[in-house]
Amino acid sequence: MKKLVIISLLLVLGYSLMNTFSDIEFGKKREGISSYFLEHSPDDLQVANTVTAIVVSFRGFDTLGEVTVLFLAATAMGTILFRRRSKHTGLNPQRKSPQASRIVQAAGKLLFPAIMILGAYVFIHGHLTPGGGFQGGAIIATGFLLLLISYRQFKVEHKYVTWIESLAGLSFVTIGLLGMILGPHNSFLENFLNVGSLNDLLSGGVIALVYIAVGFKVGAELTGILDTLINIRETGDID
Amino acid sequence: MVANPILYIALPLFTAFLVPLLAKLWKPLVRIVPGLVLAYLAIMSVVLMQQVSPEKPIIAMIAGWKAPWGINLVFTSFSGFIASLISILAFFIWLYSFGFKKVEFDDAQKYFILFMLLTAGSIGVVLTGDIFNMFVFIEITSLSAYALTAFYKGRDGAEAAFKFLLIGSFSSIMLLLGIAILYTYTGTLNMAHLALLMPQVPMHAKITSFLLFFVALGIEAEMFPLNGWAPDAYSQAPGPIAASFAGILAKAGIYALIRVSYTIFDLGDHGGFELLLVMGLITMVVSELVAMRQENLRRMLAYSSMGQMGLIMIAFGLGTKEGIYAGLFIMFNHAVIKSLLFLASAYLVYYTSRKKISDLDGFGKLLPLTSLLFGLGAFAIVGLPPFSGFWSKLSLLIATANSHMEFVLATVLAVSVIEIIYYFRVLGRLYFRKAHKEIKVRKPTWNSVVTMIVLALVIIAVGVHPDFITGLLHNAATDLADKADYIQKIIPDLFSQTLN
Repeated sequence: MKKLVIISLLLVLGYSLMNTFSDIEFGKKREGISSYFLEHSPDDLQVANTVTAIVVSFRGFDTLGEVTVLFLAATAMGTILFRRRSKHTGLNPQRKSPQASRIVQAAGKLLFPAIMILGAYVFIHGHLTPGGGFQGGAIIATGFLLLLISYRQFKVEHKYVTWIESLAGLSFVTIGLLGMILGPHNSFLENFLNVGSLNDLLSGGVIALVYIAVGFKVGAELTGILDTLINIRETGDID
Repeated sequence: MVANPILYIALPLFTAFLVPLLAKLWKPLVRIVPGLVLAYLAIMSVVLMQQVSPEKPIIAMIAGWKAPWGINLVFTSFSGFIASLISILAFFIWLYSFGFKKVEFDDAQKYFILFMLLTAGSIGVVLTGDIFNMFVFIEITSLSAYALTAFYKGRDGAEAAFKFLLIGSFSSIMLLLGIAILYTYTGTLNMAHLALLMPQVPMHAKITSFLLFFVALGIEAEMFPLNGWAPDAYSQAPGPIAASFAGILAKAGIYALIRVSYTIFDLGDHGGFELLLVMGLITMVVSELVAMRQENLRRMLAYSSMGQMGLIMIAFGLGTKEGIYAGLFIMFNHAVIKSLLFLASAYLVYYTSRKKISDLDGFGKLLPLTSLLFGLGAFAIVGLPPFSGFWSKLSLLIATANSHMEFVLATVLAVSVIEIIYYFRVLGRLYFRKAHKEIKVRKPTWNSVVTMIVLALVIIAVGVHPDFITGLLHNAATDLADKADYIQKIIPDLFSQTLN
């Protein structure tokens, strides 16, 4: 009976969603604020990648919010994914999985610097090419993930993660506050630097700086999250 | 002093990132700095409230882009009132919990950062003028709330937090779908612009989207039957956090629900308000009936809190200016009184693991001041004169009578009797029973006593002389009721284009 009610409710929900979404034509050019973004991001901001202009400037406040969400997720995970400390059972706090093969280890060592450089490239060129702070940060975290799975004794120092996290977050908000003091409209997160010229590395004003801060922050946070998850899975414990 | 609505968000975020570094210098900074920030925000609220009027809202644009192209924060008489309420209450809750976790430094750091972000997120939900930005702030608020629910590491806390997490994620998906529908049909995310373009959205899309919003925000606003997370979260979170769930989190949720149904959608004449009214009635009746059967003091207060949220929904569901006024008055009272009740109850059940009402025998003698303040809160919340709760309930009854909703009026009165029964049952135990032998009592600290007394004084002051806040409430109600004015103040150019 209960299942019947749930199924019929889901059917009603599915039907009304389908009814609404089937009206929306795919790939149609739409009116609205998006055309304004397309016009103004190359002209006013000298940013070649419009997506970056939207993410960091037009909707930069949302990005600050999302960075905070990630910060909170990293903090919250330690509390919610909780397991009783295994003191009494005398479990070895060392991770239990077997050591990865030497091929994986050697390749990991070799690839790690390349991954770091790629990640840094992606977030430094966020205003020119596809990608940006979030993507670059995620690439950097995969580099650490590679080390975490190939070396059992590899440990992420949470002290450094905290420092990078805090400093990157602080620089994001500080750039925003500087915009309030130095920007032409005195509004938060506003550009106050020279925007340069389109397609230069030094263009886009504060956008590039914000994305570098986001790249560091996302990289540090995802690495911290991965380390926490691996430790919970393997030792039933979190530090 | 620099007073700008942006600072409500920027300062707490700045501090949240700074605090882990400050802690390396001197550990007590972890608790002092958030308090300073909250104090600054509370003072800024007073300053901004004096500058704002229904004719002149304070609009702060972000990144130098005007609405609807950029995100903006809108401090009107209505949103400003709620934001001020939240920020001032947050300061007092901080004061109450100043000495929290004196020994465990890591826990203290986590607690103060999360509490500050909970406050900043809730204020963001209230102040933002952009629907997607509201979604981001709801995420910030909910994530801090999940983490704070699981603050006491243990099975029950983790279970409550996980339940909250699941329901909350469901709410986020619904909200995002609703926003996506609106965006595809209008091509904008600014609330005023959405409201302006709403007539061109086809009816079936409008209704689907409205229902998605209604369910998603109903979860945040503790509407029945979507409030399954609330009793567990309220009873497992630390005492001051339970108070801020009632005073801060739920207020942001109900604000979003009201903003969406009053400003963005134009479904008021098509059953939108009736839906709010009916759901409010059901929420109130069910929650109060369940509250009467609770053995656990915290859970009883949680269900009573949901009942009050139902009352607020009823008031806003009337759709009249009087109803809005009454709803805002109840929101104010509920924030202050329920916080006092939660803060006082934290000491009453301090050493009992099960937080049972039957363990409260004779506490009137053991903890005279705390029990007295709890009693005062109980009298105020059921709506007895001369406390502030009386005036808000009276204004709701007058508003329902003027809307010719006799059935609603009768139900509200009947439910008040239920409220009296279960609150007086607790008071009876506090004052008219002998204490169990060898009971351990935790004396309240000076800062929590100060906090509770301030809240109690507010309740008495507003009760004796309601004119302290009626002016603010009238301005806020005028502001919310005039939708065209809201649109015109935020996007004047587009508004006049549409008219011509």
